Amino acid sequence: MSHQLPAILFLLPLFAAISMPVVCLKHRHWSYRISVAVLTVMVLSSVFNLHNVVNYGEVRYVFSGWTVPLGIEWVADGLASVVLVLVSALGLLGVVFTGPTSPQALGGRIVHYYTLILLLMSSLVGIVFARDLFNLFVFLEVAAIASYALIGVAGGRALFAAFRYLILGTLGASLYLLGVSYLYAVTGTLNMTDMVERLPMLLNSKALVGGLVFMFIGLGIKMALVPFHAWVPEAYTYAPDSISPILASLVTKVALLAWVRIIYWVFDASMVIYGIQILLLVGILGALASVIGASLALAQRDIKMMFAYGGISHIGIILIGIGQDNSTGFTGGIFYLLNDAVMQAALFFLAGVAFCQYGVRTIEDMGRVGKQAPWLTGSLIVVGLGMVGLPPTGGFFGKWYIILGALEAGNYLSVAAVLLSTLLTLGYFVKLFESIFRQSPAQPDAPSGEIPFSCKLALGITSAAIMILGLFSAPIVRLLLNETLPPHL
Amino acid sequence: MIRPHDSIIVQTLGRFLIPVVQIFGLYVLFFGQYGPGGGFVGGVILGTGMILSVLIFGHDASRSQIAKDILHGDGVGMLIYAGVGGLCMIGGGEFLNYSSLSIPGLEEASRRSLGIVLTQIGVAVDVAVTAVSIVFSLSAEEIIEESING
Repeated sequence: MSHQLPAILFLLPLFAAISMPVVCLKHRHWSYRISVAVLTVMVLSSVFNLHNVVNYGEVRYVFSGWTVPLGIEWVADGLASVVLVLVSALGLLGVVFTGPTSPQALGGRIVHYYTLILLLMSSLVGIVFARDLFNLFVFLEVAAIASYALIGVAGGRALFAAFRYLILGTLGASLYLLGVSYLYAVTGTLNMTDMVERLPMLLNSKALVGGLVFMFIGLGIKMALVPFHAWVPEAYTYAPDSISPILASLVTKVALLAWVRIIYWVFDASMVIYGIQILLLVGILGALASVIGASLALAQRDIKMMFAYGGISHIGIILIGIGQDNSTGFTGGIFYLLNDAVMQAALFFLAGVAFCQYGVRTIEDMGRVGKQAPWLTGSLIVVGLGMVGLPPTGGFFGKWYIILGALEAGNYLSVAAVLLSTLLTLGYFVKLFESIFRQSPAQPDAPSGEIPFSCKLALGITSAAIMILGLFSAPIVRLLLNETLPPHL
Repeated sequence: MIRPHDSIIVQTLGRFLIPVVQIFGLYVLFFGQYGPGGGFVGGVILGTGMILSVLIFGHDASRSQIAKDILHGDGVGMLIYAGVGGLCMIGGGEFLNYSSLSIPGLEEASRRSLGIVLTQIGVAVDVAVTAVSIVFSLSAEEIIEESING
């Protein structure tokens, strides 16, 4: 049974998604319950899978029993299993949160809405597990197509944002595919494990360098790295409130994970091509992204835009950690990835509740309702602590290990970038808190109604998770150090 | 909305051609076991037959009814596929490893043969439905709306 888990985790949401339009033909409201049930089972089995992988080693799954270079191989190793627990838990939380805030205007389309969410979840599972470059491309595309549709589902301004995402996302996917085809032409294989054996002789081949650059730019667009981030803020701002937490927390992070998988598992990460150290380049791009993203966030007035730019800067911080080429930095990067996913989810839950219940869009609006909405302000304070990186939260420990890794590698530029981006993050949260707490008390406009229970649940669980990731950071980091490191670190 | 074609030649030829196209589609689908062919091509040909009947006899004709009904079967092909894969997993093998397809009373060779035929039928159904729904969504939006809201 347990050797089937990677396939079950993928097939469960996929086939639930596909049978949903048939099953819910007469009973639309079943779609919500089915999605919650499927995602709950997914969370449980992903935890079980992590437990298995930690105790009995990684699981290799070969579809339809074809042997490896011919067949499609999936591997549930430590990194994949840890990220999968995160993906399924945040997916479940996002869907539970969706219940009352989902766009009522969708009508009969609500069934298709949940179908797309489950499809997105299954494709994320595919990206996490796949050990085949082309398979990775297929799942990146499925995830992207589901996201375009989910962003545009509300119509209006969101359609424009979704179209922009579609153009840029398709460009990214095409560049990735071009890169894969170069690598295939040079090595004659798509399987990652097989490719590792064939690469060392080819390190100075121009096709390989070209392929690597194309793949990096393609995945850079998908993960919203700074020069290619243009689609992110609008897409997350105008997407329905119920969907932006799932997209913001998962899609870009999983694309980043795909890049980590390629650069560390397929290529030997410390390689030097034409005198340029690849990881150094990744670290510099990360440093630029972290500073530029945070400064752009400082300039925003719309809170969702601000949070989206904050997410862009955090992608940079994760890349800095990944780019240090030592185990401390790598672990810090992965730990920060987990934290950042939870924080992004929390921020967009918060922005969603603020808009649905109180009509809050900008920082000034937030200041107007801040004091009357204790749930909002409370969780905003916790997430703010996490985003800035103050000690009891997970954000602090992530940045701490990243900085330790950078010091170990002697990369003082990276340390400076992390610190500068932290200061800028502090800047935009101070702006937000100032507008809440500096407000004159003579504004008794009462909040319109109580926040629904499921929204409180989502806000509470994400805030608690941020604290728990910090308080239990020692065992989590130990788990990451033991289980998730790439082969040569 | 697609109206019936005016020409008597097209109508008469269509009456003969469509069954031939459908039979050829089924032939290609099942011939995929032994030679060129298979679910995707067979499904395209089956779908083309239905599209042809809609284009010739119009959207409201009784002959086009099957093309409209099939729109509801969007996930059925995939469910057949999933069912075969699931039976393989229950039999202890990997997903779609036909040698462990748990249908009693069959030898391994017949299990593999049956497994691949069933999955290809699933693929064919999905491809045919997709082809028909593309034509409908290009021609008349309200049919798709009906099938969503209906």
